[in-house]
Amino acid sequence: MNFSHPKFAVVGHPNKGKSSIVASLALDDSVQISDTPGTTLKKRSFPLVADGKILYELYDTPGFQRARHVLEWLKKHDVSADKKQEAVQSFLYAHQEDERFRDEIELLEPIMEGAGIIYVADGSKPYSQEYEAEMEILRWTGQPSMALINLIDQADYVQEWKRALEQYFKMVRVFNPMTATFKKHLQLLESMAQLKEEWTAPMKISIKYFEQYHEQMLCRTAETIAQLMAESLAHVERLTLKDKEAAATEEKKIEEMYKKTLRDLEYKSQKNIEKIWHHGHLQKEEKSLAFENMDLFSKQSASIFGLTQKELIVTGATGGAITGAGVDLLLAGHTLLLGGAIGAVIGGASAYFGFEKLAKINLLGQKLGQKYLQIGPMENQNFPFILLGRALYHAQTVASVSHARREKLKLETNQAFKNQWMDESKRKSLYRYHKKFQSEAKIDAEDIKTYEKMILEILKKCINV
Amino acid sequence: MNLRSYLLLDELLKKHPATHKENRAFGLEHPLEQNRPIRQLFLWMEKHISVLRQPCIGDLFSSYVYTVTLILCILVFIIGFFSGIGLLGYSGQEPVNIIYFLAMVVFVPLLTIALAFLSMLKAHKAQNLLVHISPAFWMEKIAERLSYAKRADMKKIKIDPLVGNWLVIERSQLLAWVFSWGLVAALLGAVITKDIAFAWSTTLKVSPEEFYDFVNMIAFAWRDFVPEAVPSLELIEQSRYFRLGEKVDARMIRHASMLGEWWKFLLCSALFYAIILRFGMFLLAKIGLRRALKKSILSQKSAVRLLHEMNEPLIASTADGAEDSLVKTTQGHLQEIKKLNTLYDGVLGWSYSKEEIAVLSDAIGIAASFMLSVGGNNSLANDAYAVSRSYGEMLLCIKAWEPPTMDFIDFVQALSQQADKIIVVPLGTPQEAYQPRSNAVQVWARKLALLQDDKVWLKI
Repeated sequence: MNFSHPKFAVVGHPNKGKSSIVASLALDDSVQISDTPGTTLKKRSFPLVADGKILYELYDTPGFQRARHVLEWLKKHDVSADKKQEAVQSFLYAHQEDERFRDEIELLEPIMEGAGIIYVADGSKPYSQEYEAEMEILRWTGQPSMALINLIDQADYVQEWKRALEQYFKMVRVFNPMTATFKKHLQLLESMAQLKEEWTAPMKISIKYFEQYHEQMLCRTAETIAQLMAESLAHVERLTLKDKEAAATEEKKIEEMYKKTLRDLEYKSQKNIEKIWHHGHLQKEEKSLAFENMDLFSKQSASIFGLTQKELIVTGATGGAITGAGVDLLLAGHTLLLGGAIGAVIGGASAYFGFEKLAKINLLGQKLGQKYLQIGPMENQNFPFILLGRALYHAQTVASVSHARREKLKLETNQAFKNQWMDESKRKSLYRYHKKFQSEAKIDAEDIKTYEKMILEILKKCINV
Repeated sequence: MNLRSYLLLDELLKKHPATHKENRAFGLEHPLEQNRPIRQLFLWMEKHISVLRQPCIGDLFSSYVYTVTLILCILVFIIGFFSGIGLLGYSGQEPVNIIYFLAMVVFVPLLTIALAFLSMLKAHKAQNLLVHISPAFWMEKIAERLSYAKRADMKKIKIDPLVGNWLVIERSQLLAWVFSWGLVAALLGAVITKDIAFAWSTTLKVSPEEFYDFVNMIAFAWRDFVPEAVPSLELIEQSRYFRLGEKVDARMIRHASMLGEWWKFLLCSALFYAIILRFGMFLLAKIGLRRALKKSILSQKSAVRLLHEMNEPLIASTADGAEDSLVKTTQGHLQEIKKLNTLYDGVLGWSYSKEEIAVLSDAIGIAASFMLSVGGNNSLANDAYAVSRSYGEMLLCIKAWEPPTMDFIDFVQALSQQADKIIVVPLGTPQEAYQPRSNAVQVWARKLALLQDDKVWLKI
């Protein structure tokens, strides 16, 4: 037997969510999951690899098909407890080429090679005696084992399952791969570590790596969002004019072009985030995770993710006052604090007048040369909060959605999301950076880094890390 | 780090010559460099430099910068030299006023050093006025007009404004330093080849004592080490010159050899203010440029990503290969029945106990001559017995929520040998009043259809 790293075989009756559990634990959405029994045809390994070293290995296996036949074969070889494992091994040798026991061979092989057993049962369906043959066979293998009660549907038969499973397994846990948080994943890994003494240390290392992996994904998400914000807010669109003056249609056209670019940037950023979190199947669907019927520039988006006019005026006035106070401080208060007062008025007024306005359209060009229209950078002071809110909500959803989920995901939210992460101090700090991104000056790398850190902090709060 | 290596690294980063895996392997090969990102990037560059097409843009640009700088240095040296010659021009009619030369080697350097210092403080801003008024900036603009600079590959290079500012500041200091050497060379040349009568002259009401104090202040850096390079009060008194009368004062002619002594002071002033201090500024600018290059490279997205790839563990939890595609088993034919009769020859309950079969038979309103439990916890011998007792029209009740296994299929096939008709009845849980869910029934239908057995019917 190979003890180089812990191995776990996820086994059980067909269609009880084995693949869902593996997909969820391995963060792999390529696993085929369906409500048709027998979807998994062959065992498949999902190793956790850190720098080329396998830390542990999960096996997704087909379900038992002829458990009673296997058990009868084993029982015919009436052996003492210490020989039961050998009997199972003999079964594998004897039926290696037998098509009838293909699934049993596939699932028993990794166990006989030293894998721990994770037996999966569906706690939303009543317990039935037909499972007992499977559990008895697993007992014969002599490998450390635990049971996971998965809840595929709404009904709850967990208690009766617990009573039955505790007769056969050292440990019984409830784990729903569709709703399990990252913390629940780690708790499950900790339980798996307890199955065998030799596995405790490597599994602890695995948990550490898993945490690091999660942190890496969060950092990359924060980077992507910060990049989206900086690029979108600083974006400038240009349209060369045919005549010397801009027609109304041309003004409308450049505004549409500008909005399209910002929508594309948001879409690209969403795709990147889905890739970071290994949600390939979300990407395959056309408009997979888009906010349905809620355009980036819609009033609905503004009301859900944006600030109210009052909030924006207060934020703008505070930001202006801070800048003005800097002048007062520089002049050692000789301004009688007029700097702060003027700054507050200017900041508040620009927030008030800029509440609806998107960006200024300018007619530029040389007298003798070609003229062009220019729109951008973004002037609207509410837009950054709308864009950020949408990005955070999308990221939170992607980071929390199970890799076992196969149905189309809808992004629907309400104002409660905004209150979940935004407080006054965050609003002010973000506002300061949004103003920097909106200015035409080159964005300082240090500013982006600091902004990224803020986003990371907010993301962690949203995802409850 | 210098401009060449900065540009080479920048070019290489854009090419992404290595995979994430290779970059991580490289990071693990150099564990000691983990906290030295620049060193780590350089080692990585050395490994992959062969990927770049020769001649590299970085090499071209740095050679261009070197050539332009060399030409500018030669030019400013010549300008400095001739400016010095002009300032020290002595016809024998009138003494040379040291104030002009002092202005060029002390006051102008002090002023430009102060401006350079200010521009260093503001170098992080893309629009830095002090950088843009620097002569080096404009000389560079003129040099850009040269055919060398108009090459297509040269135009591709985009320098970070921070680096650009520091480059101009550094070059300005170098050019000013070379210019000062031109002045010094002119001074030495003039002193060696001519006997110059130095004097000082000003419209301002300045007494020799005050001027002595002033000169002493200028000479603060060397007055203790080279006292002979500090003019004495006597020399200052003797060398004051008034232009009235258009003639050299007879008193001055008497002390002609003494007047020449000023050159030591002028040389020390030039060496200290225009050469040493300027060289200090040049070194400062060089350090600033190096830091700007580092900062610029470390703020690039590709560099940040590369460092992440090298220093963070490469973790993967997904399966390596793709899964065999699911074979859809929808072919086959199955007969369906919508309504059950009230009487059957036998009722079998798959994974139901005898008591449960009795209850559910009551619930669905059927009666039979015998009822037997099969599957589930029953032995295969039990199942065989049930099959042997079966005949005629048999009802086979199943738990719809459980998926069909091959064990069940084996049983149906065996039963089919014995009975004339098998009606499989999927049932829901007692909580669902035994009403099965339609999707669960479909799962059973698909499986039973595979049997293609005319005796097998499904209650829908």
